[in-house]
Amino acid sequence: MGGSDASGPATEGLIVELRKLLRIARWEVATSTGTVDRRTVVILAVALLAAGAAAPALTAGGGGLDDGIYRVAVEEDHPYHDAVVERDTLRVVGTEASADLRIGADGVDAADSRKGDAALGELRDAVQSYNVRRLRAESDRAAAFPVLVELTFVDRGGVSVDIDDGASGGTGSDGDGGGDATGGDSSDGADGSNGSDGTDGTGGSDDTGPPGDGTGGAGSDTGDGGDVGTGGGPLPIPNLGGGGGVQEGTPADISAPFPFGPLVLAFLFVVPMNFVIQAYGSTIMDERRNRRGELLLVAPVTRVDVVGGKTLPYVGAVLGITIAVAALVGAGALAVAAVVPIGLLFLALTFLAAMFARSYKELTFVTVSISVFVTTFAFVPAIFTDVTPIALISPLTLVVRDLQGTGVGLGGFVFATGPSLVASAVLFGLGVGVYREEDMFTQRPVHLKALDALAAWIHAPWQVAATTALLLPFVFVLELLAVAILFALPLSVSLPAILVLVALIEEVAKSIHVYAAFEHERFERSVRSGLVLGAASGAGFFAAEKVTHAVQLVGLDQLEVGQAAFTPTSGVGPLLAVGLFLAPLALHTATAAISALGAVRGPRRYATGLSVAILVHAGYNLGVILLVT
Amino acid sequence: MSRDPRLTIARREFGALTSEKTIVLALLIQLFVAGFSSFLVVGLVSMYDPGSIDGASVDVGLVGDDGDAVADSLADVDGLDVRQYAEESSARSAFQDGRVDALLVVSEDEDGRVLIRASVPDSGVRSTYTVVQLRDGLEALERDRRAALSDRLSFEPLALPEEASASPYFGFTYTVLVPLLCFLPVFISGSIAVDSVSEELEHGTLELLRAAPITLVDILDGKLLTAAALAPAQAALWLGLLAINGIPVANALPVLALVAAVAAAIVSLGIAIALLAPDRRQAQLVYSVGVLSVFVVASLLPEHPANTVAKLAIGSPTGTTWTLVGGYAVAGVMGVTLVRVAVGRLSIDALGGDR
Repeated sequence: MGGSDASGPATEGLIVELRKLLRIARWEVATSTGTVDRRTVVILAVALLAAGAAAPALTAGGGGLDDGIYRVAVEEDHPYHDAVVERDTLRVVGTEASADLRIGADGVDAADSRKGDAALGELRDAVQSYNVRRLRAESDRAAAFPVLVELTFVDRGGVSVDIDDGASGGTGSDGDGGGDATGGDSSDGADGSNGSDGTDGTGGSDDTGPPGDGTGGAGSDTGDGGDVGTGGGPLPIPNLGGGGGVQEGTPADISAPFPFGPLVLAFLFVVPMNFVIQAYGSTIMDERRNRRGELLLVAPVTRVDVVGGKTLPYVGAVLGITIAVAALVGAGALAVAAVVPIGLLFLALTFLAAMFARSYKELTFVTVSISVFVTTFAFVPAIFTDVTPIALISPLTLVVRDLQGTGVGLGGFVFATGPSLVASAVLFGLGVGVYREEDMFTQRPVHLKALDALAAWIHAPWQVAATTALLLPFVFVLELLAVAILFALPLSVSLPAILVLVALIEEVAKSIHVYAAFEHERFERSVRSGLVLGAASGAGFFAAEKVTHAVQLVGLDQLEVGQAAFTPTSGVGPLLAVGLFLAPLALHTATAAISALGAVRGPRRYATGLSVAILVHAGYNLGVILLVT
Repeated sequence: MSRDPRLTIARREFGALTSEKTIVLALLIQLFVAGFSSFLVVGLVSMYDPGSIDGASVDVGLVGDDGDAVADSLADVDGLDVRQYAEESSARSAFQDGRVDALLVVSEDEDGRVLIRASVPDSGVRSTYTVVQLRDGLEALERDRRAALSDRLSFEPLALPEEASASPYFGFTYTVLVPLLCFLPVFISGSIAVDSVSEELEHGTLELLRAAPITLVDILDGKLLTAAALAPAQAALWLGLLAINGIPVANALPVLALVAAVAAAIVSLGIAIALLAPDRRQAQLVYSVGVLSVFVVASLLPEHPANTVAKLAIGSPTGTTWTLVGGYAVAGVMGVTLVRVAVGRLSIDALGGDR
C-alpha cells in the first residue's frame, strides 16, 4: 500500500489491526459464554446459595474451630463452673483423670503439659469475661465499672517518618500534612464495624470479647481465606492501619487496631481474580490442544492480534471486578488504578504458564503457585503501610492509602505500579515470542520452554543487553519483595541473607538468557563470544539500573536493609562517589562474563559460573557497605 | 508386575504427576501457605501477647490528680513503664517527641469514676502493641478500683486464676495449622482428579480404550486410587514433620483415616463433576465453588470437620467426634460407590470424542 500522506496509511493500518483484534475478542467472548451451559449455572447458583445460607453458622463465634478443645473437671457448685460453661473452648467433663484442668476447692490444677498451660490461660480469660458480663447487670454502674477510658489515636508525625527523615523527596504524603487525631476518618465511614471483635459501640454491647479473643478470631480468618467475603451485612473491613478516631468505654471495650487490614483487602481483590485466570488459562491452553490454534495461526492476522484479542475480554473482566470491589469497600479511582496492574501481572503470568504447561494438571499447579506468589507480593509489603516507605512496593498500599484518604504522590504511584506494569508487558512479550507452531504444539518441560521463550528474542549481542534491561523490573520486584519479607528480621540475619539473595537475583537475570541463547546455538560456543555477551549483558543491566533509580525517589535507601540491596552513592566524597558510580559497571560486566563463560560449556559449567558470579557479587556488595558506613 | 489393570492405571497416573513435578509444586504450595499463616499468627500473637516479646516495654506518660494510685496499678503489669509528670504540657511534649509511647490524662467524673483520656500514636503495628499493653494495665487498674468499691456491688467478681506460662501458638497450631494441613491436600487431590478426567475427555483418549480389555470403571478406579491416596500420604508427611518439630499430634491414625475418607468423597465428587461438565473450565469452576460451599455448609454439623480434626489432634475427642469420623468413613465409601455405579452405566460413546 503506498500512500502519499505519511501518517494516513499508518493510522489506517492501525485501525485495521485494531478491528482484527476486536473481532477476535468478540469471538472469544462468544465462544466462552456460549459454552457455559444452563446446568453449570444452576449448580453454581445452588452451591452459592447453600453456602450463603450456612455462612452465618460459620462466621458466628469465629467458626467454632476451637470449640471444646480443652477438658475441664469442675464441680457444678464451684464458682468457676458457669464461667467454664459459657466459654466455647472449654468443655466440662466429669472428674476423670483425662481432664486438662481440675478445679477443686483448693484451687486450679493444670495438667503438666503444654496443653494444660494453654487451658489455664483460656480459663483466666474465661473468668475475666465472665466477670465483665455479670458486672454489666449491676445497678451501680459507677462501682461496677469504675474506670472510663477515652482513647484517641494521634498522628504524631515523627514516629512514622523517623526512618525516612530527610529523604522524603517522594514521600511527602507520609502524613505530615494530615491533621491530628483523625487519620482514619474516611475508613471509618467505609466500615463502621470492626470485623474481628465486635466492639464497635461504647460500653453496653453484650459480646465484648475478652482480651484473648482477638487472637483466636484473627487466627481462624487466616486459615480459610475463602470465606473472608461471606459475612452477611456490612463487609468486615477492619480499621485500616490507624485505629480510626476515638474509642470510649471501659478498659475491656478498647480494641486494638487490627493491623492486617491489607490482608482482607488482598483477599477481596485477589480471590475473584483467581477465577478469571482459571478461565483465561483454560482458553489459552485450549488453543494448544489438538492443534486448534493452528487455524488462527494461518489466518491473516498477526500473533499480537490473536493474543491481544483473546486477552482483552479477561482484562475487561479484571477491570470490572476491580471496580465492583472498589465500590464495595468504598475506594476510589486511585485504588482501581493501583489494583489493575496486579490483575495484568496475574494475566501475564497465567498466559505464560498456559503457553508452557504440558497438561491441565500442570497448568492448575502453576496457576496456584502464581496466585500464591502474586498474593504475597501484594500483601506482605502492605502490612507496613503506616510504618515505612517499603510498603509502597505493593500496589495494594495505594488502596490502603486511598481508603485512609492520605493519597500518594506521582513518584510513589509510579514506583508502586510501574514494575508490575513493565513486568506484565515483558511477560506477554515472552509469551507472544513462543506463540508459534513449533512451541505451541510440542510437549517439553516447563523450564525448557521458558528458555525457548527467552532465546526466541535473541539473535545479536545487543539483544542480550536489551533483554537484560527488560528483565530489570523483575529484579526490582523480587528484590523489593525480599527486602519487605526480611526487613522484619534482626539485622544480623537479614543483612547477609539480603546480600546473597540480591546477588542471586541479579546474576540470574543477567545470565539466564545468555545461557538460553547458547543452548539454542544462537552464537558460536567460544570464549570470545562468552566475553562479548557477558559484557553486553552487564552493560545493559548497568544502563537500565541507572535509568530507573526510582528507589531514591521514595527514600528506600535510607533503610539499612535497603542499603544492602541498593548501593548508596550519597553522603560520600566526590572521588569515592565517582568510583562508586563506575564500579558497578565493572562489577556487572565482570560477573556477567563469568557466568557467560560457564554458559558456553553447558548446564553444569553454567551452574558453576553462576555460583562464582553470585559469590563475587555478594562480596562486592559487602565491601561497598563496609566502605560507606 | 501386577496384573490388575487398575493398579497399572494408578501407577501411570502417579508417574505423570511425578514427571511433571506437579507433586513437588503442590507440596511447596502447602508448605508456603502453612508457613505464611504461621508467620502471620506469630506476628499477630506477639502483638496481642506482650509476654512473647522480650524486653519490649511501653513507656506511659501519666499526668493528673489521682496519678499515684493509677501509677501503682499500672506498674504491677509487666511491660508497662510509667512516668509521672506534674504538668500536662510537659507530658504532652514528651509524647509528641516520642519519649513516651502513650499519654494518659487522669481525672475524676461526678460519679467518682476515674476518667482516663489516653492518646496513642497512630502508627500501625506499633500502636496495636501499645494499645494491648495499655489495656492490660487499665484492666488491672479497674480490678483494683472495683475491689475497693466491692461493698456497693451485689456480685463479687471471681478471683482470676494464676497467669499461665502458656505458649501463645499452642491453640493456633491445633485449631488452624493442623486442619489446614489436613484439608489442603484433600482439595488438591480433588482438583487433580478433575483435571485428569477432563483431560482424557477433551483429548478423546477414552474412546481408544474401547479397544482395550478394561472397563471405564477400571480406569476411573485407577484415577480415584491415585488422587485419593495422595491426600492422606501428604497429611501423614505434614503430621510427621510437625511431630519432629515438637508438636505431637494425638490420634494420628484416626486423623489420617478421616483425611482418607474425606478425600475419597471429595475425589469422587470431582470425578463426577468432570464427567458431567461440558469442559474443563466449567468443571474446575463448579468443583472449587462446590468444595468451598461444602466446607461452609459443613458448619451446620454438630462439629465442623476442622474442629473434629482439631479435637482429635489435640487429644480431646468427644463421642460426637468419633461418630462424625465414622460418618465421614461412610460418606467416603458411599461417594466412591455412587460414582462407580454411575460410571458403570455410562457408555464410553456418550463421553468420548472431542466436545
